[in-house]
Amino acid sequence: MNTSRIKLIIVGVVIIILGLLIYFPGRKLARGHVNYMTAVEGHPLLCTNCHLYMLAEGPIAKMVNKDYYSPFNLAVSNDGSQLYVVAQDAGELLIIDAINNKVQKHIQVGNHPHSIVLTTDGKKVFISNQWSDNISVVDLPSGIVTDTLKTGNGPSGITLSKDEKYLYVVNTFGSDLTVIDLIKKQEVKRLPAGFDPTGISISPNGEKVYVSSRRAHVVPYGEPIITDIMELDATKNQISEVHGMLDAYLMENISFTPSGDLALISLIRPKSLVPMVQVERGWMMNHGFGVIEQKENGRIIQLLIDEPNSYYSDPYDIIVSKDGKKAFISSSAVNTISVIDIDALRKVLDEYTEKELDFYANDLAFSKNYIIKRIPTGSCPKGLALSPNGSRLYVAEQLDDKIGVIDTKTLEPIARLDLGGPKRITVARRGRQVFSNASGTFQNQYTCYTCHPDNHEDGLVYNMAGKDMGRNVTNTQSLREINGTAPFKWNGKNQTVYKQDGMRFSTVLTRTEAFSFPDLDALVSYILTGIKNPPNLLYNPTGELTASQQRGKEIFERKVDNFGNEIPENGRCVTCHPAPYFSNFQFEDVGSLSESDDTIKFDTPHLNNIFTSAPYLHDGKAKTLEEIWTLYGGQDQHGYVNDMTKMDLNDLVNYLKSLRSAKYESKKEKVLNASSR
Amino acid sequence: MKTNLILTIFIITVFLITGTSSFGFTKSGNQTNAKGEGNIPKYGNWKNFTVADGLPGNKAYAVRVDGDRVLVGTHEGLAVYEDDKWTTYTTEDGIAHNGIIAIDVSELTGDVWLGTMGGLTRWSGGVFESFTQLNSGMPNNLIYSVVCDGKDVWIATGGGAGKYDTYSKEWDIFTEQNAPMHEPWTYSVCAGDNKVWIAAWGGGVIEYNNKTKHFRDYVDPDGNMEIDLFPDDGVVHDITTAVSWSNGILWVATYFGLSRYDGVHWKGYFDHDSGLASNFINFVRAVGDYAYLCTDQGLSVTDGESWVTYVRNENNHDGKVIITTGEQKSEKKLSPSISHNFVIGVDVKDDVIWVATSYGLSRGERIN
Repeated sequence: MNTSRIKLIIVGVVIIILGLLIYFPGRKLARGHVNYMTAVEGHPLLCTNCHLYMLAEGPIAKMVNKDYYSPFNLAVSNDGSQLYVVAQDAGELLIIDAINNKVQKHIQVGNHPHSIVLTTDGKKVFISNQWSDNISVVDLPSGIVTDTLKTGNGPSGITLSKDEKYLYVVNTFGSDLTVIDLIKKQEVKRLPAGFDPTGISISPNGEKVYVSSRRAHVVPYGEPIITDIMELDATKNQISEVHGMLDAYLMENISFTPSGDLALISLIRPKSLVPMVQVERGWMMNHGFGVIEQKENGRIIQLLIDEPNSYYSDPYDIIVSKDGKKAFISSSAVNTISVIDIDALRKVLDEYTEKELDFYANDLAFSKNYIIKRIPTGSCPKGLALSPNGSRLYVAEQLDDKIGVIDTKTLEPIARLDLGGPKRITVARRGRQVFSNASGTFQNQYTCYTCHPDNHEDGLVYNMAGKDMGRNVTNTQSLREINGTAPFKWNGKNQTVYKQDGMRFSTVLTRTEAFSFPDLDALVSYILTGIKNPPNLLYNPTGELTASQQRGKEIFERKVDNFGNEIPENGRCVTCHPAPYFSNFQFEDVGSLSESDDTIKFDTPHLNNIFTSAPYLHDGKAKTLEEIWTLYGGQDQHGYVNDMTKMDLNDLVNYLKSLRSAKYESKKEKVLNASSR
Repeated sequence: MKTNLILTIFIITVFLITGTSSFGFTKSGNQTNAKGEGNIPKYGNWKNFTVADGLPGNKAYAVRVDGDRVLVGTHEGLAVYEDDKWTTYTTEDGIAHNGIIAIDVSELTGDVWLGTMGGLTRWSGGVFESFTQLNSGMPNNLIYSVVCDGKDVWIATGGGAGKYDTYSKEWDIFTEQNAPMHEPWTYSVCAGDNKVWIAAWGGGVIEYNNKTKHFRDYVDPDGNMEIDLFPDDGVVHDITTAVSWSNGILWVATYFGLSRYDGVHWKGYFDHDSGLASNFINFVRAVGDYAYLCTDQGLSVTDGESWVTYVRNENNHDGKVIITTGEQKSEKKLSPSISHNFVIGVDVKDDVIWVATSYGLSRGERIN
């Protein structure tokens, strides 16, 4: 054995020893790190889960992720040969050859398009662009966007007046209805329309338009919720009535029967008045539809599409067949279309009194009286459309980039049209499917999306049923752009989203098997990388603050009060709410504890897009931003405000409403805009 | 039977002699009006409403005609008269406060806006939604006046004027800090010609230009003097109680007389030199070329030259109508008369006038 060989062996041994020395403590360190991040001990040690799949920006993130179409709503051409598909994530209108299954055209429309309506002559479509606050008018023969019409904030559902002189546009974020004069090509009227509305439908005679809301009126915890359906007199374009749907919310869509005798509305009946431990009793969320009888003194009733031990969660679209015999409801969370026999429904309506039907609105077995079929679909069925002859039902399968085709006679799926999206399902995309699918909850009762519609929050207050029933009720928090805002939950007990959605989630909420590690990895990846804040077009479209917002910013950052006295550091807004997230992520007591709360401090919430998140404070007791201080500010516990005039408070609130995504904030900007006050 | 016939003949004879009917003025009575009063509307056939007739309270602050119905703001809630029936809405229905001082109806949306002693309420599609100084950016809960101007709703409050943009849902507050007011107390607001006028207590009239977003003020050149030292030199007093604009004319009510402004010239009117019922004017509403003035001593109607004033007797339900043109003055008996002389609100639609008083509501019909 020569010297060099001995040296080689020695070097090898040293490397092995060093490797072992590094490997075991390193692995131990990695294990500890992963255990901390996931709050469990058995999660696989895969660095890529966090350090690759949770990258939201940059070239590597682009390689890891894919751009999908995510079809959301659709329309069918008058001859049935083409489909007009709103591809929400791509911001495109796709024109599909429905016979040869071929994408014929990609037409760029606005940001985050939502709904589509076709003119009677079949030559034009209107598409609402929810994140652009406008409507794209597309000339179909040429495939050109010929006009862009301004709307209110967050346009979603749209429909035409019977004479097609007016376009009615539901503004979800603005909670109102825009009336566009199509001759003048401009908005002529904006009417209040409930709270977070999306659905709209015009009666067959053209005299009435319904707009359905998703959020309920803000009420103190313990009171039943009511959600609005606005009724418009389309002959005058004035509101004629507002109907309250008791104990229901998330009324995504609405549809009339062809004869006009019934209006049907998809809805969810949340059981937020009882602790969430009731979930295994089928008692957290029920899913169904509302019926508004159109006769004089017509009733408003609710019926379930759920059945014992099986739920059809997150009902989205509802549409009635051309012959008026069947209604179809897409349940996005269970990949199913439920079919309602309308004649059977009419029989139920005839046989039972309002009081009896009110009772059956909670009866899971009652749906057997009118549900005649469950049709499977691809992932996350959303918008529905019928062919002109009524023989085909088309389904926008949002998370499969496909359009399902169902034979309305046999009620069987017969084809799936491929929109040509990426074939690879990324981790984040898989996470979105998990997020939107109810298989992770007891008997498919609900999804993450149910309480976080549009990945945001549902505005309700829940008792999460910790160790003390009826205590520590909390308002749902938004999931938009929460990456970087740890810790999570109002009490900040969850250091990561992994912990939030892992074992505790199944113990406390879903009451079934915890998510598998791959599903949990995917879910966290989606939540941390795939959920964006919509642009703040209502209060801060350009980044240039109004005079009032600028004054509010100075108040937000002030160090001295109106009398020239120095404000203690912990009394300044900016101390606890610094940019870019407007939170220091520390725990504070701002005097907001209720009698039913344990004595704790709360995690300082981030304030980006805060104007969309009413009600406020941990238990939703403040209906508006103003009430945080006018009713619950106490003795300057939540910032030093008692020296302020009403005008000062308005300026401060106006500034808070101007806050946008953290990506617009930078340290440099913060320094440049720092107040001298 | 014979007795009844004699009685009937007697009543008809009395009617023909007096030229008035026991039910009010008639068109034949109009023929005897003083010369020069022109087409100024005159009302008769008065009918009065009180709690006994279905009003929730006798103190009526405001009245507004809305299509086929009449909205009345009382101290006990909102009374709605439709199809000869009264319906009452109160705080239990969602109104901010039962004391409803001001009412306006949006021409754009058809929504009804109620200014109350405890906040602003929108009545839309049968649902009441209330704004207060605590839950919104509204300046103050005590609302004296409300007017809809396109998509904006303006209010005059005890803590400044407020403008609510129904599109953006934002409030602007105007007080002495950012507008040429003497103090934040404002009493009335009206809109027209792309401008908004605010009656500001002690500050005369504040004009807001919707195009320029700028204010200017009109104050009494005589300062705080309670007499109008130099006639027609400006608004008659800085303590203004109401403003109303119509057909290019701004009418300004004060507790010390009335002013009329045509955009160039001011003219003042007082009870001693015109047919104005009293210098103490609670409210003015301009409709067409006429101003309807609610005073503590009756209701006056004027076109700026001629006057018709309705006054109730102290001891019975009858009263008189006084017609004044220049130096000429004539009086006629009125039976019944308006409900009370302390008049607080008025509205006119077509040939019907509704008058809100401190004791009941009156309805009159045009008789000329």
